[in-house]
Amino acid sequence: MIRVSKVTKHFDEVQALAEVNLDIATGEFISIVGPSGCGKSTLLRIIADLVSTNGTIEKPNKGAFVFQDSALLPWRTVQGNVELLMELEGTENKRAKASVALRQVGLNGFERSYPHQLSGGMKMRLSLARSLVLDPEYILLDEPLSAVDELTREVLQEELYEMWSRDKFTAILVTHNIAEAVYLSNRVVVMSPRPGKITDVVNIGSSLGFKKRTPEIRTTPQFSKVVNEIAGKLRTWK
Amino acid sequence: MEVKKIIPPILILALFLGGWHIGALIYDMAFLLPTPYAVLQIFIQDFNIIMIGLKQTFQAAFTGYIIATVLGIAVATIMSLSKILERSLYPYAILLQTVPVVAVAPLIVLWFGFEIKSIIIISIIIALFPIINNTLLGLKSTPKTLVELFDYHKASRVTSFFKLRFPSAIPNIIAGMKISAGLSVIGAIVGEFIIGSGSEQGGLGVQIIYAQANLETSLVMALILTATGLGFAFFMTIQTIGWYLMRKWHESEMKAS
Repeated sequence: MIRVSKVTKHFDEVQALAEVNLDIATGEFISIVGPSGCGKSTLLRIIADLVSTNGTIEKPNKGAFVFQDSALLPWRTVQGNVELLMELEGTENKRAKASVALRQVGLNGFERSYPHQLSGGMKMRLSLARSLVLDPEYILLDEPLSAVDELTREVLQEELYEMWSRDKFTAILVTHNIAEAVYLSNRVVVMSPRPGKITDVVNIGSSLGFKKRTPEIRTTPQFSKVVNEIAGKLRTWK
Repeated sequence: MEVKKIIPPILILALFLGGWHIGALIYDMAFLLPTPYAVLQIFIQDFNIIMIGLKQTFQAAFTGYIIATVLGIAVATIMSLSKILERSLYPYAILLQTVPVVAVAPLIVLWFGFEIKSIIIISIIIALFPIINNTLLGLKSTPKTLVELFDYHKASRVTSFFKLRFPSAIPNIIAGMKISAGLSVIGAIVGEFIIGSGSEQGGLGVQIIYAQANLETSLVMALILTATGLGFAFFMTIQTIGWYLMRKWHESEMKAS
């Protein structure tokens, strides 16, 4: 369980976040959507302990943070990159674990390639693989799919959903893409413009009526309805 | 290397030598402007003594260059540790660059004597700043998300330095070292000028002063070209090391495919 209590944030004179309270159940997939500059990335960084706050964060010990730009080391090979976080965390059996993780994301055979030789989608798969290999209890994702093309994006959403179903980590995803949030999440958290606060929490499971997410649900009327409902909530500020 | 790539610079060299040769013939004052051929002849004739000079200048410049590189990276690393350290030290690093080294050189010779030590120190002073400046720039411009990634996983400063900041700064360090390659040779020559005319068997700078006093213009030019070649060799060595380190991952060294 991740508990965000009374979290506020000021950057000098600017109030970035009004009070934010949020409880995320173990194994839950939560997405945070909101207009640009609403502080959703800041909130994610506060949860990650990268940004300070007056509030409190309770979270499990083992986590991972996935960045928008993959955040790979350009001078390391795919193999070196997938082992990086294990090195930082002092994980044992790096080689064997790396090999399993690379196979899971279809990057086996690319061990000796460098990041610049990979497509955007492959880079993100590598970034996800290097996080999953830590066997994290929770993963924080900061717009991880915003740099890939639309087709790859949907494929990666499906892969991410599979990873989550399989490994059962708690996930918090910050995204601009409402369909992505709806496709992946148990709940979608809607935030207001600065100072950011939570204005709505939409329970996707109950509104969508599907237990398991498959690519086909994207074209169903229920899916569009939920997407439009959330888009409507966001539009009120424009 | 592909032939196509080396043709343009060779062509420029041929034009330059041809222009020089014709110019020298028209001007017709061999003791002021010898032809390239005359310079080559002197170079061959005095080859042994020039090599003695080259060896001495190389020793001073190379030692100075290595010390400047190690010292420069160390100073930049210290500066990168904190804003306060950077603010305290950087102005003096700039002074290192703005001090007229040619004017300070006699002072250094007074302090450290008429020996290779002084030449090395002058070479260090002149080669140090580009390395400090570029290394510092590199250490300070680590991509933000990578810094956040290491912070998130609570990597120690030492780990972050060796696994992230330093490798990330390598392109800048190499860029600084390329600038300093030629400068270290210039520093050594300046040092030898000041130490001066003790013997005609000194370093290239000493021999230049000596040959100039004797109005041996061809020899002066042969010595200048030798010193130029030395700086060029330094540069190409670093260029090659940089290529080797970055060929697989950095834009500057990867072939467009």
